[in-house]
Amino acid sequence: MSAGPSRISPGGETVTFTFDAVTYCARAGDTLAAALLANGVGLVARSFKYHRPRGIMAAGIEEPNALVTVGEGGRAEPNTRATDLFVYEGMVAKSQNAWPSLSLDLGAALGLASPALPAGFYYKTFFGPAKRWMRYEWLIRRAAGLGNAPTLPDPDKFAQRAAFCDVLVVGAGPAGIKAALEAAESGAQVMLVEQDAVLGGSLHRDPDPECDAAWIAASAARIAALGGRILLRTTASGYWDHNFLTLTQRLAEPGAVPAHGFAQQLWHLRAGRVVLATGVIERPIPFTNNDRPGVMLAGAVRTYVRRYGVLPGRRVVIAANNDDAYRTAAALIEAGAEVLAILDSRSSSTADAPDGVPVLYDARPTHVSGTAHRLSRVTALVREREQSWTADLLAVSGGFVPVAHLHMQAGGKLDWNEAAQAFVPGVTHQNCVTIGAAADPVPATPAAPAGHPKKSFVDFQNDVSLADIDLAWQEGYRSVEHLKRYTTLGMATDQGKTSNMVALSRLAERGHVSVPQAGLTTFRPPFTPVTMGLFAGAGARNAAAHERRLALYDLHEARGPVWQPLGYWFRPRAYTLGSETLAEAALREARGVRTSVGLTDVSTLAKFEVSGPDAAALLEIVCATTVSKLAAGRGRYTFMLREDGMVFDDGTVWRLAEDRYLLTSSTGGADRMASHLSFVRNVLRPELRVSVVNVQEHHAGIAFAGPKASTLLAGLIGEAPPRHMSLARAVIAGVPVLLLAASYSGERAFEIYAEATQAQPVWRALAAAAEAEGGAPYGMDAMELLRIEKGHVVVGGEVDGRTTPRDLGLDKMLNKAGGFIGANGLQRPALSEPGRIELVGLEALGGEIAEGAMLIGAGGGAPQGHVTAAGRRVIEGGAIALAHLAGGHARRGEELTAASPTRGITTRVRVVAPHFYDPAGERYRD
Amino acid sequence: MTELTITALPPAPLNAAEIWSNPAQVSVRCQAALGFALPGMGQSAGSEALKLLRYEPTVWLAEGDVAPLAAVLAEDGAITAIGGGIVRVRIAGAGWRALLMQGGVFEAEAAAFAPGHCAATVIDHVAVRLFVENEDACLAYVPSSYAAALMHFWHDVLPLVGAD
Repeated sequence: MSAGPSRISPGGETVTFTFDAVTYCARAGDTLAAALLANGVGLVARSFKYHRPRGIMAAGIEEPNALVTVGEGGRAEPNTRATDLFVYEGMVAKSQNAWPSLSLDLGAALGLASPALPAGFYYKTFFGPAKRWMRYEWLIRRAAGLGNAPTLPDPDKFAQRAAFCDVLVVGAGPAGIKAALEAAESGAQVMLVEQDAVLGGSLHRDPDPECDAAWIAASAARIAALGGRILLRTTASGYWDHNFLTLTQRLAEPGAVPAHGFAQQLWHLRAGRVVLATGVIERPIPFTNNDRPGVMLAGAVRTYVRRYGVLPGRRVVIAANNDDAYRTAAALIEAGAEVLAILDSRSSSTADAPDGVPVLYDARPTHVSGTAHRLSRVTALVREREQSWTADLLAVSGGFVPVAHLHMQAGGKLDWNEAAQAFVPGVTHQNCVTIGAAADPVPATPAAPAGHPKKSFVDFQNDVSLADIDLAWQEGYRSVEHLKRYTTLGMATDQGKTSNMVALSRLAERGHVSVPQAGLTTFRPPFTPVTMGLFAGAGARNAAAHERRLALYDLHEARGPVWQPLGYWFRPRAYTLGSETLAEAALREARGVRTSVGLTDVSTLAKFEVSGPDAAALLEIVCATTVSKLAAGRGRYTFMLREDGMVFDDGTVWRLAEDRYLLTSSTGGADRMASHLSFVRNVLRPELRVSVVNVQEHHAGIAFAGPKASTLLAGLIGEAPPRHMSLARAVIAGVPVLLLAASYSGERAFEIYAEATQAQPVWRALAAAAEAEGGAPYGMDAMELLRIEKGHVVVGGEVDGRTTPRDLGLDKMLNKAGGFIGANGLQRPALSEPGRIELVGLEALGGEIAEGAMLIGAGGGAPQGHVTAAGRRVIEGGAIALAHLAGGHARRGEELTAASPTRGITTRVRVVAPHFYDPAGERYRD
Repeated sequence: MTELTITALPPAPLNAAEIWSNPAQVSVRCQAALGFALPGMGQSAGSEALKLLRYEPTVWLAEGDVAPLAAVLAEDGAITAIGGGIVRVRIAGAGWRALLMQGGVFEAEAAAFAPGHCAATVIDHVAVRLFVENEDACLAYVPSSYAAALMHFWHDVLPLVGAD
């Protein structure tokens, strides 16, 4: 019989997979860990810092060693626990953090340098001259981390869904199944979630005749029949306020091609009551080389034997401080292994060892030895005398730690259980209870570690040893939270699931205090790692949001424009022709507006209908200009202030009828304006008799602008269009439209609104009319050129939340009667002090002006402002810009430098008025 | 396999009827003029010609001919057309409740969300209004700009609710 792990009864291996390019066979239902052990593979990974050889230690999600990368290309998932990964046909798994190979890893040389890499190594490297850090930063960054994140996009999709239930049971071991069944029988809507691929939990390790496979199946069927929902491969990863939990459900194994394209689903669950049947995690024991392949948790060994039919070793020593490990001896003997000894750190026990298995009390392992692949020798102190065995497996059990993570995430306290030497769930203020082994762990007796502290590992994933904890203590780290961050203990993907209690025990030992006095770190979500794409959900590829489509989308798309995202909207940026560049197209389109006519889609503007006897009163609270004096059929420019007097949006207001107004404001601020209006309407002035309805999408809007716009429009509607800042109703192409004579471009212009469902014929008619006169559609870039030349401000550019109406030159329009939001804020003396940033225009004295450029005075010094928008004179040429400049209104004629180091453009500019085109507004009028 | 169809319906006359005063009296006038009282929150009422759905404390969505409603509201409210900005999407089939849980936050699977009931909620970040037409169909009122994307989303997640 050869040494090392093997399948107990070979046969039934129907699944083929590869590990480090070697092909193996596995049984359906095997985890990768089980399959590797079954194939005799002991070495699975290399450790994080010292590249020490690591095997498989656990059989569940607590595994700290056996981390692999699974899958290929964008589907590759690094740092996946081999114990939480079920094999599938064609699975490709690779080891990590090893070069050139797992067996011959040159990084292991770092182990020789371990004395130079003590606890707090990273922190210590930050001290000293920066030049020194610059030397070894590259090396540290190269060495850091385990698996590599894929560089290709993830081809899979992720879903999110909501769910509600009366009772959520987390964990489908015997306690969880019973709790779920009981709740379902009582009439409750039940959800039972289990992170494993099968129900049963510990029953697969420790069979119970009363809870056999038939009982599990019957219970599941009964729960389902009573309307309950059972989710496998689903982890309750976050427990938030008000019994809100997030569940991560694997729809396909990591790296596998999902059947319907969805790899995982995130459940947003609201539960009336939560039952946590989350079980326990076994503690490892610290001793020299306790991290070597062949040292495993005793419960895990039992799982591999009984659930997977895998024997992790043939000649086995068991080391424990509790009765539970004795059951592992029984399981191993049933499977044909030889149990050489049970090393019990206690002085006595009532547990029954299998016949013929020697039990040695007051016995603790001191060290193990072997190759990188396999254990060969176990040495222990037995009643203070050293004794050794030739063995290929050491099964250890240092007691059990309840999985209280969710309980703590829920805000629950932990109580110290002296008998179990573990924290157990205590009081919680949420409707939550913990049952089963997590509430009542097996008693265990503390034992002082034997072996060399430097090679006695506590946190296997981060290579933190007892010596590291001791050093941190010596250097003054008393708080467990400080110790954690200094040593990196309990960090990374396993979050200290196997290490926290061992470390706390050592900390307590050093401080001569009890474990509870030593402290406890906080468990935070997620319980196990969650793929980032799952948080993004269906919108992972689209900034987590859907694209908003214009009502006229099809007509634009037919012209093949360059699309520009604007918030969630996409708008034509320019309609390039032939080999035109974007800039050439924008300039052509803008010149068309200046010389003939153009049309553009302005449907995205925010629009609100405000109606009722108090409509004007409400608008005069929201708008900083007068509204009530508007005659029916007229409109005006307006702007809105925050409470502090800063401009936050602008637009136009139109009196559609005696008690009905249309308010427009910026596209980007549409949702914010809707909230603002709702706040004013419903909170500030709920007594007003007014209706405020968001009609942003009800109307599609088309701006028709240029010196020929009025004549062409008259031809389309059969009458003279309204004069500037007046409105009229008309019919274009058989569609009723609202004509608003307003200009953003600086030309005679109209905003033409039609019900969005009927807007296409209107656009076609306007486009045909324009094109017959040499005009054309124009996009956002042309619009930007036109508005900069005209000196119109834009929200997000010149209106950036720091400017008052006076700063922007809008103060003459303020409603002198006050009463609007921000009126009081404007009275603050600081807002009238000299030196405030103010809106100015800039003319280049040669070259281009870079948007965002800093404005520097002739003598250099600190920036005095910045360029908010840069463009050019549409007809005459020459670079111009709008800018914020300290004390700008009084600095016209001054020459400055506009410098943009990021764009590499520096230009001399002259400060001018921010109106470069038709400052008197002559062109608005017929 | 669950049978589920997702269909965009033709545009319909949709209006927001906002009541700022005397809702009880408006309800009485509504009953007298139209034959039904104003529905409560999350409920609907109506006739062949006009259906009212209440999603907000002061606003009812009116689908159909609102001509008689203006007189009912009188000086207590106003009507504003909004139909151009909304696409009605009918989700029909046994799995509509499960489908609406996808990307959602609202308990569409609750038995209390019965035919005739309505709800305003968010589905995959999009504000939608739901109206249960019958046990096998639900109408979603979706902002026009999001309609194509949301319908694509629903089609995409059909396999997750056991439909194709």
